Amino acid sequence: MKLSNLKNTIFILFIIFVFSSIVLAETKSPVNINFLMPAPFVDSTLDLVSRFNDEEKGKIHLKITKGPLETEAVSDLAISSLLLGKSPFDALLIDVTWLPKYAAAGWLETLDDRIKSNEWDSLAEGARLGNKYMGRIYRWPLVADMGLLYWRTDLMDAPPKTELELLNISQNLKEQGIVPYGYVWQGRQYEGLSCVFLEIINGFGGEWLSNSMKVNLTSKESLEATRWLKELITSGASPKAVMNFSETEALQAFKSGDAALMRNWPYAWKELQKEESNVKGKIGVTTMISKENHQPSATLGSWGFSILKSSTKKIAAFKAIEFLTSEEAQKEMFINNGYTPTKSEIFKDAELLASSELLPVLETALSISKPRPQTPLYAQISDVLQKQLSSILTEDKPIDEAMKLAEEKTIKIISSAGNKS
Amino acid sequence: MTLLFLPAAILIFSVFAIPIIRYTWLSFHASSVLTRLEDIPNNGANWFRIFGDDRFWQDAYQTIRFTSISVTLEIFIAILIALLLDQKINNRGLVRALTLLPWALPTTIMALGWRWIFNTPYGPIEKIYSILGLGSLNILSNPDTAWLATIIADVWKTTPFIALILLAGLQTIPNELYEAFILEGGGKLNAFQQITLPMLQPYLIISLLFRTAQAFGVFDLIQVMTGGGPASSTESLGFYAYLNALRFLDFGYSATIILLTFIILIIFTLLVWLLTSRVNKLLKSEIL
Repeated sequence: MKLSNLKNTIFILFIIFVFSSIVLAETKSPVNINFLMPAPFVDSTLDLVSRFNDEEKGKIHLKITKGPLETEAVSDLAISSLLLGKSPFDALLIDVTWLPKYAAAGWLETLDDRIKSNEWDSLAEGARLGNKYMGRIYRWPLVADMGLLYWRTDLMDAPPKTELELLNISQNLKEQGIVPYGYVWQGRQYEGLSCVFLEIINGFGGEWLSNSMKVNLTSKESLEATRWLKELITSGASPKAVMNFSETEALQAFKSGDAALMRNWPYAWKELQKEESNVKGKIGVTTMISKENHQPSATLGSWGFSILKSSTKKIAAFKAIEFLTSEEAQKEMFINNGYTPTKSEIFKDAELLASSELLPVLETALSISKPRPQTPLYAQISDVLQKQLSSILTEDKPIDEAMKLAEEKTIKIISSAGNKS
Repeated sequence: MTLLFLPAAILIFSVFAIPIIRYTWLSFHASSVLTRLEDIPNNGANWFRIFGDDRFWQDAYQTIRFTSISVTLEIFIAILIALLLDQKINNRGLVRALTLLPWALPTTIMALGWRWIFNTPYGPIEKIYSILGLGSLNILSNPDTAWLATIIADVWKTTPFIALILLAGLQTIPNELYEAFILEGGGKLNAFQQITLPMLQPYLIISLLFRTAQAFGVFDLIQVMTGGGPASSTESLGFYAYLNALRFLDFGYSATIILLTFIILIIFTLLVWLLTSRVNKLLKSEIL
């Protein structure tokens, strides 16, 4: 009696063991991956991420870590996690300017083997820029982003095309008292000022840094471009306040109807269409001005995914990246958030073209976009330039002296790299 | 007996000495994105560089300017606030708690608030100024005024902290002292000079040293309010060290900046301390 009881118990336990192992094997916990993104992107990819998790149920689970709102704060967080050794993230959504730095530090996994050549070719020309370092792909773009010129259709018949037109239109509208401000842009001492400068120097036929890393800040074109930026303020075409404007302040002035023209990124379009906007339905978008007989240019500011070298789940991470950057996903993000697509096919989508006047402008802007100097030392180089540009605008230093200083310091930074590499 | 000190000694060593040793070591190495973050000895190149780095010295000047002006203002205003809070007023507890509010706010949030207060053209200060028909001030776009704005924000935030320390000090002064002083025919102003100030003195020195060290390392306020601009006129040493470490990934140089800042801070604090004890002696000799 007792023996058979024991036998039964053992048998039941055995059955339970077998079943539970089968069940456990079936519901084997999925591969958990973790991406870090700046806050605005987390909100706009919420649907996509949950759809991915539904599709990959039981296989992959993508968790998104919501980073800070401000671009550089996201980088600080990512870098801190990388410096501490084992980063909790498998992939990061990174800004175009961080890539060379991160790649040179040895944090990123090359994507050369994962990206097929036809996939690479599917990218719009401008969207291909800023994903490589030393000839290898380290980033797959999620959205393209470039500087645009916003104008008020109720105040002018056509947007300015040249630097003189922009100056005249802004000055006239302001002097006639039609708007308090003419042209608003980003003149605060921060990365935005470098973006503004790059567009203008290129549009004036100059160059910040050549491909062979020659610094051209004291060239005739560069000095002309700088003089023009300063003239915007001294002539009253732009308010003095732009010297402390970032994107937010510029957008606020334009949105409230206080300015006739604005330089900003594509995200501003959606903001200006909102109900609380005073200029809803009264705005047009175009590319930045340039000097007569010169090509206009747009600073490239795209975001893309990079897989970290330290990740142990690279295959799953890449699968998630493919999903989030698929054509479908890009269409959706364009419609919902106004994000610039990266695949050239989308710019030809008849349905989208019919419903959006923005898309062709984005395509043109992307085709003339230029990345900022691609070097691991970009942050230093840009910082030097920002400081000197800010001293010029605030009349702390004369143009020639400040640009000469900027050039000398930039050369010094670049040559320090030459000595060590 | 000595064993009793051991835990404290270990604690101090690990939070104080280890970082300093590590930074000193790092400051004699190239450790940046160019070395793939490996530490390579560079024979003091960082130290040669820092002495010729005009930006470091500009920031040092600006940091000392920020610290000395804001801490002085804070002490004076805090004395007034502490005296006021020491009075027997209605709802004293509530008033005291309210006074502490600015100090309890996270710096980032209050700095953002001040950035909007000083904003041109939508901030209230600009609005009032333009309503009065005086044009626009452009406080944060002008290198001559932006640093003053950061001082105002800092004073607003940290004065309550000093006021709290001083209030505690005021409450240790026995009332009998004042009563006796008045009985002897002394005036209220004299009582402040001859009783309050001398009795408060240890508290004043503590808050002075504490705030000096704290203000010297100012970073978050600057980062949010001005980002160091315009024309780097509000950049502090802490901000410069941050730029080098996290933005430029140049840890060797950043460590050098931090160490030299630390040395400057010690010298500066010693000077402040010497100055206060000199003033103190003068005060005492006057009283006697």
